[in-house]
Amino acid sequence: MKLKKYLTLTRAGIIEALQFRLSFLVMVVGNMLYLIVVYFLWKAIYASAGTDVVNGMTFTDTLIYLVLATALFNFMEMYTVWEIGRNIQSGKIVLDLLKPMEYRKYLFWSYSGSFVTQFFLTFLPTFIAVAFVTHGAIHMGLNLLYFVISVVLAVSINYSIDFLVGTICLYTESIWGINIMKQVIVLLLSGATIPLAFFPEPLKTIVGYLPFQSIYNAPLSILLDSAPQPHTLLVTLGTQLLWCVVMIILSKLFWKASLKQITVNGG
Amino acid sequence: MSEIIKIKNVIKEFKVLNRREGLKGSLKDLFSRDYKIVRAVDNISMNIEQGEIVGYLGPNGAGKSTTIKMMTGVLEPTSGEILVDGNIPYQNRTKNAQKIGVVFGQRSQLWWALPLVESFKLLKDIYQIPDAEYDGMLKLYQSLVDIGPLLHKAVRQMSLGQRTLSDILAAFLHNPKIVFLDEPTIGLDVSMKAKIRTLIHALNKEKKTTVILTTHDMGDVDALCQRIVIIDKGKMLYDNDIEHLKGFFGSYRTLKIRVEGDLKAQADIIRREVPDFSVSADDEWISVLVDEDKNKVIDVLGLLQKTHKIRDMQLEEISTEEVIKKIYEEGVQ
Repeated sequence: MKLKKYLTLTRAGIIEALQFRLSFLVMVVGNMLYLIVVYFLWKAIYASAGTDVVNGMTFTDTLIYLVLATALFNFMEMYTVWEIGRNIQSGKIVLDLLKPMEYRKYLFWSYSGSFVTQFFLTFLPTFIAVAFVTHGAIHMGLNLLYFVISVVLAVSINYSIDFLVGTICLYTESIWGINIMKQVIVLLLSGATIPLAFFPEPLKTIVGYLPFQSIYNAPLSILLDSAPQPHTLLVTLGTQLLWCVVMIILSKLFWKASLKQITVNGG
Repeated sequence: MSEIIKIKNVIKEFKVLNRREGLKGSLKDLFSRDYKIVRAVDNISMNIEQGEIVGYLGPNGAGKSTTIKMMTGVLEPTSGEILVDGNIPYQNRTKNAQKIGVVFGQRSQLWWALPLVESFKLLKDIYQIPDAEYDGMLKLYQSLVDIGPLLHKAVRQMSLGQRTLSDILAAFLHNPKIVFLDEPTIGLDVSMKAKIRTLIHALNKEKKTTVILTTHDMGDVDALCQRIVIIDKGKMLYDNDIEHLKGFFGSYRTLKIRVEGDLKAQADIIRREVPDFSVSADDEWISVLVDEDKNKVIDVLGLLQKTHKIRDMQLEEISTEEVIKKIYEEGVQ
């Protein structure tokens, strides 16, 4: 009964997403264009490097990584910051706050439906296509299970960060700049745009201490590691779990403190 | 009857940044600490009983929405006490949310891409409404309004009237003890207004739901409210039953006319011609407030027609604004 309260939002999200058939098409085309750009960009980078292996990654490795990172981005990006910002500006947040449910949870579960659709409609096809095209460059084994666990944790961390940034909108009452800043920081430092292996050593160390790499780098490296050591696995998942808990607590506390600030000017 | 809402000496203040003019001013504002305190609600007290329909009136910016937001728990009062069904709303917002329903004028709480029935199902799960109760409610709705054709229509394809109707139904769905309706009939045509009034009335009767209604439409008030609370500039001006107020303004009509020439100048002339009446003018109309107990509208019109060429005229009930103005000017006996 308790869970149903949330799953019903997931269900509605799925139905809602399916109402907009055309947007899927647009998104698929948009992704293709992006991937074509990525393909030629990295081809040029490898050509100019003169070697087959750059920073321990072959061209195929890099490409698989980036294609999957894009696919992962498509279903993990929840546009939470936009949503919170828009709701604040329009005042709709008042109605959401008046649901007998925590706003944080309400928003998450409202979006969870689009996870499910995006997972099946963009991530899974991309994944299968990549696996097919590269003839088994992706190891199919227990790593898939670890990958799923890792993605679940990544989703949670990503949401917490988004929610945290979205909360800032309560103070600024504007969204655009904050959202762009968040997106650039997260995508860069998480290894979604450039594999972390390409980062210079000092930056790599710093990034290692930040939560962002747990979002894209962690699940992807688990997926692409054909012979994972129990130790590495434990460290990666452990770090993710730690960040997951820390970020949930942080975003909750910040939201609670910020809610007091809500003035939502009447009218 | 038990008191469901208790409000005692409630004050709400907002901190507003003093904005300066121009680009230079805007730049300065970025670093400004120059705030002023605006008192939106100033020492309001009232008790509302279970099953009442209370009309909460006041001009724009009077503090109506602020009061309602405090009762729903979205805003915390600066000082004073609010108890809604024994709860302090802002401390137990989630618990309070289960007991109240809201319709905020232009905004919809419905999922606009989905058919109405899906929104209802969502609300059923979110509010954890038992099956039997939900079915009963739908039956009741069906008997009150013809919701059949609405149920399977996506909310975004609805007309404003249909959407408002749906929003009201959604607000009552979990059988809340209190429903707040913030200008529910705004922008609707006459027949839809009537439909919505009948609906609210019936739901109040059937479910003993307390309804707090803010509106600018005296028609809403006449049709629904037994009791009226008027506030202006955050202060409470009036809290009594409608009969009392009706005795006060009921016989007043606003005669609006359009004459040839500059309206403001013509209004001055009319003011001299009929010194006993309150005359005002805006860009379109000259309004004359007529007390029908003393003078017939038709006589006033006849008088004016002798000296002016009247191109157009309207007869209206006294508006909330005018009621408030009169209360201000003369006080309530």
